[in-house]
Amino acid sequence: MKTFPFIYNGPREFIQSLQPKEWADFFLGELNPRFSVTAIKAKVVSVIDETSDAKTLVLKPNWLWKGFQSGQHVPVTVEIGGRRVTRFFSLSSHPKDKYLHITVKRQKGGLVSNFLNQNIKTGDLLELGEASGEFVLTKDVPNELLFLAGGSGITPIHSILKELQAIKYSGKAKLLYFVRSYDDIILKSSLESIAKDANWLTIHYIFSEIPKEGFSSGFLSKEILDQHVSNLKTSSVYVCGPSPMQTKALSLLEGLPVKSELFLLPGQNQTNVKKEGTVDVFLTLSHKTIQVKGERSILEELEEQGIYPQSGCRMGICHTCVCKKQTGEVTDLSNGEKSQLGEENIQICVSRAESNLELEL
Amino acid sequence: MRTISKKLNNEEIEAFGKEVDALREEVMAKVGKEDADHIRSIYKTYRYTEFLGRGLIHFSFEPISFVAGTLLLSISKIINNMELGHNVLHGQYDWMNDPRFNSRTFEWDIVCNAHQWKFYHNYMHHTYTNVLNKDHDYGYNFTRLTEAQKWKPVHLTQPFTNMFLAMNFQWGIGAHGYRVEYLETPKKLRKKKTLKDYKALFFKKIESQILKDYVLFPALALLNFPKVILGNLIANLIRNLWTYAVIFCGHFTENAESFTTDEIVGETKAQWYLRQLKGSSNLDGNNLFYTMTGHLSHQIEHHMFPDMPAKRYREVAPRLKEICAKYGQHYNTGSFLKQFGSVWKRIIAYSFPDHIATKFMGKRKKFLEPTMVISQPSFQVSLSTEEKTVTLT
Repeated sequence: MKTFPFIYNGPREFIQSLQPKEWADFFLGELNPRFSVTAIKAKVVSVIDETSDAKTLVLKPNWLWKGFQSGQHVPVTVEIGGRRVTRFFSLSSHPKDKYLHITVKRQKGGLVSNFLNQNIKTGDLLELGEASGEFVLTKDVPNELLFLAGGSGITPIHSILKELQAIKYSGKAKLLYFVRSYDDIILKSSLESIAKDANWLTIHYIFSEIPKEGFSSGFLSKEILDQHVSNLKTSSVYVCGPSPMQTKALSLLEGLPVKSELFLLPGQNQTNVKKEGTVDVFLTLSHKTIQVKGERSILEELEEQGIYPQSGCRMGICHTCVCKKQTGEVTDLSNGEKSQLGEENIQICVSRAESNLELEL
Repeated sequence: MRTISKKLNNEEIEAFGKEVDALREEVMAKVGKEDADHIRSIYKTYRYTEFLGRGLIHFSFEPISFVAGTLLLSISKIINNMELGHNVLHGQYDWMNDPRFNSRTFEWDIVCNAHQWKFYHNYMHHTYTNVLNKDHDYGYNFTRLTEAQKWKPVHLTQPFTNMFLAMNFQWGIGAHGYRVEYLETPKKLRKKKTLKDYKALFFKKIESQILKDYVLFPALALLNFPKVILGNLIANLIRNLWTYAVIFCGHFTENAESFTTDEIVGETKAQWYLRQLKGSSNLDGNNLFYTMTGHLSHQIEHHMFPDMPAKRYREVAPRLKEICAKYGQHYNTGSFLKQFGSVWKRIIAYSFPDHIATKFMGKRKKFLEPTMVISQPSFQVSLSTEEKTVTLT
């Protein structure tokens, strides 16, 4: 890097040092909190009650929103107690709809899902990121589709069904929706209106906890699949739901083209490790040394001590929390593998400390 | 160094540390929306004052708007450096996850690169507070402030060099930037960067600051450019004088103590707290004054809890003062004029050889009496700790 004259070598960097974007954001924000040149900010236009513990937020994003494909998810940032927290949610609306919809079910112990259900009202502001995700329809839509949804896993599938409706799908699709009880069915009226409007879709609700007359009950199993799906061998399958259901589905459907989106509930990626003593984590950028137990993810253990690194999905998908490990060993919680000792980038939400660490945080 | 605080034994020091820790935990648990709102309103004030200040200077055709604009720009620079910059760079608002207030991304309006500053301020100065030859803020390398520093004839000039420093304080802060981080890191811990890389960062920041204040904005004002240059010069000068005054009051008042490297070997957390207390001094004032000093008016609290959102020092201070009284520890505070006067008394006194300096400084007061007698140790101190620790004298 040549330094002098710096303006000659790095004019763009000099202009950035004047913070033109921050100035623009500041004054636009003073005019209307939704305006920005750097962040996708969305206003809550209305809040729809779906069930006793799930709500749909109708969002109007600003001009930076680039759209999405049915089935994709989006990072949603809210401010809770002064702190910005990001979590991923599937978009449940259709890309051509006027407003964006995200449907959020309360999760036990879930910070953001509970906050969104409890505190968000019309007129509030959320920050979104760009939509992403591979849980979308393929270019050539298969003739036979099977959707397996569990609980709030219905939301991306709902969006895909709306997409199928929009393209006037000519094949056959079946939805098996595993849900606790009749009252817990999310997006029920919309699902049924799609089914009514089109003759290509059949829906079966299967209640896992409170049975209801005229409906099947139980968890995903071979019997239930056989009972409802006749053309299993020729179908393309989309699975979205909690992790036990996914594991079951993947083992039952071996050999079939399956797309799955895993939604881990808080705490599901914890493996039960008990350790004695602590390890030192040295944060090189903030010159802090923290003692952690190495029982849970580094992210969780840091948060416990009042340090909140950037984080997103907390399950290793979004790479928001990636940071450089300079020395030390970690275990990748998603596959149980131990890392190298040297310098590498790790996702702290799915890494557990094994030895003393040096992190660029 | 002479002290006017009571000498505590190891048990008393540890008990003191425990009370300070408890206070910290209690206040940190409250940190939340209130603090986020505070720093956002500070940010807003900083943006508006800079915008209005620069606007007024640019379009000023008579002295009143020029003076108002220059004052607003000075205020903006002071806020940017003190309540916003200094505190954000300490990581006080990192928990908010907002890139505007994150110590990793923040850069401030001063000729000193934020990342380099963080090394020698957050790490060197805050870890080795007032430790001679370690803490570069102690006298800024040329001011003699204690008998422990050997007198040389050059020290006779320090009242004048300090006046010069006051006017160019941002350069004083920036000056030791690249050297400290490189030279004081043990060779094997040095990252791949060379001294040249550090220098590059250092000069880059200086250049962009000069370009901004003395080339770009004057050029934007077309024929009005001399006024813009003058306005920026004055604003930087006012900011320099103010930050010099506030920061020198933090550690160099009459009763602020200094330490040697031997004294801090094997120091416990509690002893560290005690050293921060003895080495720092506060300024009394009102809330506006506190904000304009970036809460460095609460230097003692800031040194004990550097990562606590600064506005919280206001509620911590009276309680910390009580703890200090309980243990007979001097809590160094006073009005701005009194403290600044005593800083200058010290600067002038120690510009002379010791026999004149000590006479000028006068006799110290006796030990403070603790309000509480600690007879029973509140917990057992193991032998190994006692062996390791070196008693502070």
